[in-house]
Amino acid sequence: MSTKARWTFVLILGICSGLLFGTSAFPDSRGVTKDAIQLGMILVKTGPVAALGLPQGWGVQDSFSELNGSGGINGRKINLIWEDDQFKTPNAIAAFNKLLFRDKVFSIVTMGGTPQTIALFDLIDKNKVVNIPNAMADEFFQPHKPYVFTLGATYETQIDLMFDYIMNDLKAQDPKIAVVYSETEFGKKGLEAARNRASQYGVKLASELVLNIGSVDASSQVLVLKKEDVDYVIICNLAPPTITYLKTAEKYDYWPTTFGINWSCDDTVVRACGSAAKNYIGVGFVGGWEDDTPGMKKVRELAKKNDRDPSKMLTSLYTMGVGTGIVYGEGLKRAGENLTAESFKNALETLKDFDTGGILPPVTFTSTSHAPTTSARFYRANPEKGVMVPITDWRTPKVLK
Amino acid sequence: MSEDLLYLTQLIVSGLAVGSLYALAALGFVLIYKATDIMNFAHGEAMMIGGFICYTLIGLGVPFGWAVIIAAALTMGLGVMTERLVLRPMLGEPQFAVVMVTIGLSIFLRSISGIVFGHDNKIFPSPFAQATITYEGLVLSYTHLWAMLVSAFMMILFFLFFKYSRSGLAMRGVANDQDTSMLMGISVKKIFALSWGLSFAIAAVAGIFLANVMVLNIGLSLVALKAFPAVVLGGLESVPGAIIGGLVIGVLETLVGGYLDQTLPGAKDLTAFVVLFLVLMIRPYGLFGKKEIERV
Amino acid sequence: MRSKTFRETYREDMKVFQTFWVKCWLLLFIIALLTLPFWADPYIVYMTNICGIAIIAALGLNILTGLTGQISLGHSAFVALGAYTSAIMAGRLDLPFWLTIPAGGLVAALFGIGLGFPCLRLKGLYLAMATMSFGVVVEYAITHWESLTMGVRGISVPAPVFLGFTLSDPSQLFFLIIVIVGLHISAAKNLARTRVGRAFVAIRDRDVAAEVIGVNLTKYKVMAFAISSFYGGVAGALYAYSTSYLHPENFTLLLSIEYIAMIIVGGLGSILGSVLGAVFLTAMPDLIKGLFEFLGRQIPYFQARYDEEWNIAAFGLLIMLFLIFEPAGLNGIWTRIKTSFKNWPFTY
Repeated sequence: MSTKARWTFVLILGICSGLLFGTSAFPDSRGVTKDAIQLGMILVKTGPVAALGLPQGWGVQDSFSELNGSGGINGRKINLIWEDDQFKTPNAIAAFNKLLFRDKVFSIVTMGGTPQTIALFDLIDKNKVVNIPNAMADEFFQPHKPYVFTLGATYETQIDLMFDYIMNDLKAQDPKIAVVYSETEFGKKGLEAARNRASQYGVKLASELVLNIGSVDASSQVLVLKKEDVDYVIICNLAPPTITYLKTAEKYDYWPTTFGINWSCDDTVVRACGSAAKNYIGVGFVGGWEDDTPGMKKVRELAKKNDRDPSKMLTSLYTMGVGTGIVYGEGLKRAGENLTAESFKNALETLKDFDTGGILPPVTFTSTSHAPTTSARFYRANPEKGVMVPITDWRTPKVLK
Repeated sequence: MSEDLLYLTQLIVSGLAVGSLYALAALGFVLIYKATDIMNFAHGEAMMIGGFICYTLIGLGVPFGWAVIIAAALTMGLGVMTERLVLRPMLGEPQFAVVMVTIGLSIFLRSISGIVFGHDNKIFPSPFAQATITYEGLVLSYTHLWAMLVSAFMMILFFLFFKYSRSGLAMRGVANDQDTSMLMGISVKKIFALSWGLSFAIAAVAGIFLANVMVLNIGLSLVALKAFPAVVLGGLESVPGAIIGGLVIGVLETLVGGYLDQTLPGAKDLTAFVVLFLVLMIRPYGLFGKKEIERV
Repeated sequence: MRSKTFRETYREDMKVFQTFWVKCWLLLFIIALLTLPFWADPYIVYMTNICGIAIIAALGLNILTGLTGQISLGHSAFVALGAYTSAIMAGRLDLPFWLTIPAGGLVAALFGIGLGFPCLRLKGLYLAMATMSFGVVVEYAITHWESLTMGVRGISVPAPVFLGFTLSDPSQLFFLIIVIVGLHISAAKNLARTRVGRAFVAIRDRDVAAEVIGVNLTKYKVMAFAISSFYGGVAGALYAYSTSYLHPENFTLLLSIEYIAMIIVGGLGSILGSVLGAVFLTAMPDLIKGLFEFLGRQIPYFQARYDEEWNIAAFGLLIMLFLIFEPAGLNGIWTRIKTSFKNWPFTY
C-alpha cells in the first residue's frame, strides 16, 4: 500500500468507529422510581480518619434501614450507596460525579470534611443535590446555599457558649483562659472565635498553643499553661489529641477546668482518661449516649439491633448520623409522592422546631436560611462511670455588644 | 531552683522522656539498616501491629508481661515472614527499589490492620502506675521512666550483641560485605531473617509504649515519621546514634514547644525535619554515620 | 507483515514513532480521546482529567527519579507550590490560565533549583530524607502563611476563562488538560533522546563515571530537579483548576508516595511507563470494586465482603508485586507483549 492509501484506509476506519459511539442521553428523573429512591453518601471509610467517618455513616445507614423497615418513604424504599473519599478533595469530587452520573442517585445525603464540601459547592448547585454536610463552617450557609442544609452548632457558637459558661455560670473573676488547638480548619476557627469572644468579654487570651493530631506528647503545652497559671483551657481538637493532653496534664498535677468542642465531647475521652478527665467539660449538640430521652433510647436500640458496639466507636458521631438520617427522612416524607429536588428542598424548609426526641436540638430551616441551630449543651465527664453527663439544657450564646 | 531554671529543666526532662520513645522507634530502623542496608519504611506499621496484638491479648485476659512477650514474638514472626516473602526476592536489586518495596509494604500492612483490628480509637489499659515520680519539683511518669530504662537497656544489649555474640558479629560482617561474609561461611539469608525479626520485635515494644501515651489506632504508625529524622540525624548505621538522635529530637521539640510556640505556632512539629535538613547539609552522612568512599 | 523491526541507523532507533502503525493507533486513540466528553459520562471525563494531571506529575518525577536516579519523597511539595501559585494568581490577581499555569510551573522550578543545589552532595536514602523534609517544610509554610495562602481555611480557585468561555465543567477543562498533557509527554519523550536525557541516564547509572566522561554533575542534577519540579508545578496548577479549591491537607507525603507508586508500576525511566502507571493507579479502585462486584454475583461469599481498605491494600500490594516480579513495570509487560506478537510464532 502507498502511504496515501494507508491513510485513507485509516480515515474510513476512524469514521466508522466514530459513528458507533452515539451520544447517550441521560434520563430526566434521576434516582427516583415507583418503589425506590437511590441516595448517595460520601464519608471517609479508610485510613487514620476513618474513626470519624465510619460511625456517622453507620448512623445514617441504620436510621434509613429503620425507615425502610417501617414501610419506607411514601411506599419507596431507600437504597443508600456509600462512597469513600479517603478524606481527599479530588476523591470526593470523583465520588460525587460517580454517584450522580453512574449510580444516578436522587441526592447525596451527606459528605465529610470542610475542604471537600466547599470544593463540591458548584456541583451541588448545578445538579440540585440536597444535602446535610457533616462538617460545619460559615461558608456552608453564608451566603445562603439553596441545597445545603446544616445541623449542629458552629465552632463559634460552641466557643461563645464556653465563654458564657466561664463568665456567668462559674462566675470567674478576671480569668486566665488559654486555647489549645490543632492546625486544622476547626482548630483555627475555634481559635479565632475564642479571640473574638475574649475581646467581647474584655479579657485577653493567656496563651494560644498548637497541639497537632498525632502528637506523642503534650508536655511542652501543659508546662507552658502551668507556667502561665491558666485556669481555663479550651481545646479545639479531635478526641485522640485531647486524650493525650488530658493524660499529660494529669502527669504534671495540673487541674484547670478544661473544655472540649463537639469532636472530643465523647464518652471515649472519659473512658481513655479515667481520673485525668475529672475537670473535663465538653460542648455537644447531640444527646448524651445514656440520656433518658425517647430519641436517645431509639439511637441505643438502633445500635444494638445493628451490632454497633458503643465502646468501639465515637458514639456522638453515631448519634449525629442517626439525627442526620432522621431529619433527611422527614424531609423526604414531607416532600410527598412527587419527589423532586425542588419539592424535597421546600419540604425541608417547612421544618420548624422539629423535635427529634433529644437526639438533636429542635431543627428549623426556612426558605432564606439553612443555618444550624445556635444551641448546644454542656457535658461533664464522670470518670467513675466513664460517660459524659449532661449538666445543662440546650442553650444559646448571649448576645454581647 | 529558680522558677525559670526549673521550667527549663522540666522541659529537658520531658523532652528526654519523649525522646526515649523516639529512640525506641529509631532503634529498630538502625538494626535493619546495619545488617541489610535497607531503610524500612514499614517500621511504623510494625509498631502499630505490635500494639494491636498486645491490646488484643490483654483483652483476652493475658497478663501484661506475657502479652508483651507474645506480641513481640508474633511481630517477630511477621518480620521474618516479611523478609522471606518480600525482601528475599529483592536481593541484589538497587537500593531505591528495595526502599520502595517497604513503602508498598507499609501501605499494605496499614490497610490490612484496618480491616483486621478496626478503625476505632482503642484505649490501651496501661499497666504502669498512674502516679508520677517527683524530685525537686521535676515530674516524670512511670511510662516514660520505663521507656527510658528499656531504651537504655536495649542500647547496652545491642552494644554487647554486636560486639561479642556470633550473630551480632555476623550481622556486622554482612553489613560490611555480603560476598566476603558468604565466603566466610555466614548464612546471609539467616542473618537477614534474624535482623528483620529482631527489628520487628523491638518495633512491637516501641509500639506498646506509644500506645500507652497515645490512643491506639491506625494513626500510630505515623509516629515512625518522627523517628526518621532521629535515625538520619544519628547516622543510619549507628545504634548509639539512633538513641542520641531520638533524645536530641525529643528535647529540641519540647524546647521549641516550650519557648517558641507562641511566636511561631506549630513550629514544634517542624523541628525534627528542619534539624534533619540542616544536619544533612553539613554532614551528608549524619552525625555518627560512616563516610563512604567511592570508586569507579 | 514484517516479522521483525530492523534498525540500521542510530537515528532510526531514536525515532519517536517507530512504525507507521504506531502513528495510526496513536491517531485513533487521540480521536477517541478528544471526543470523550461527547460519549462518556462526566465521571469518566473527570477521572480522565485526574489521570492527565497525574501523568504530568508522574512524568516529572520519572525524569528526576527514573532517568536521573535521584530519589525524591518531596514531589508533592512541587505540586503544592504550582497549585498555590496558580490559585493565588488566578484568585487574587485575576490572571488568565495561560499565564498562571506556566507561572505555577516556573515557581515550582525555581524552588526545585533551590532544593537541587544543597542536595547535590546527598545520595540515596539521605537524599530521600532531605526531600521529605522539604515537603514537610513547604506544607508548614502553606499552612502558616495565611495572608497569602489562606492556610487551613483553604483557597478557592476561579474557573479558567478561554476566549470568553468559562471552563468550569470537567468536560470543558478536559480539552485544556489534554492539550497540556500532550505537550508535556512529547517534551519528555524528546528530552529523553537528547544529550540532556543521556546525561541524566549516565548520572543514574554511575555518577562518578558520568563526571569522568564529561557530564557536568552540578548542571545536570540541578537541571533534573528544575525540569521535574516544573512538571510538578504544572500538574499542581491543573490540579487547582480541576478541584477549584485547595487545602494544605491534600499535599502530604502520601501524595508523593502515590506518584512514586505510579512510576514504579508504570516503569522507572520510561515515558510510556509514567503514562501507563498514572492511568492504571487512578483507575485501579474502580477496577477492584468492579472485580468484587463481579465475584459477588458469582460466589455469594464475596457479596458485601467489599471493604474500601482492600483498595488501599491492593495499592500497596501492587507496588510490592511490581518491584519483585516486574521491575520494568507496565512498560516492560507492554514491550514483552508487543515483541512476542511481532515475532510470533518465533520466540525471538
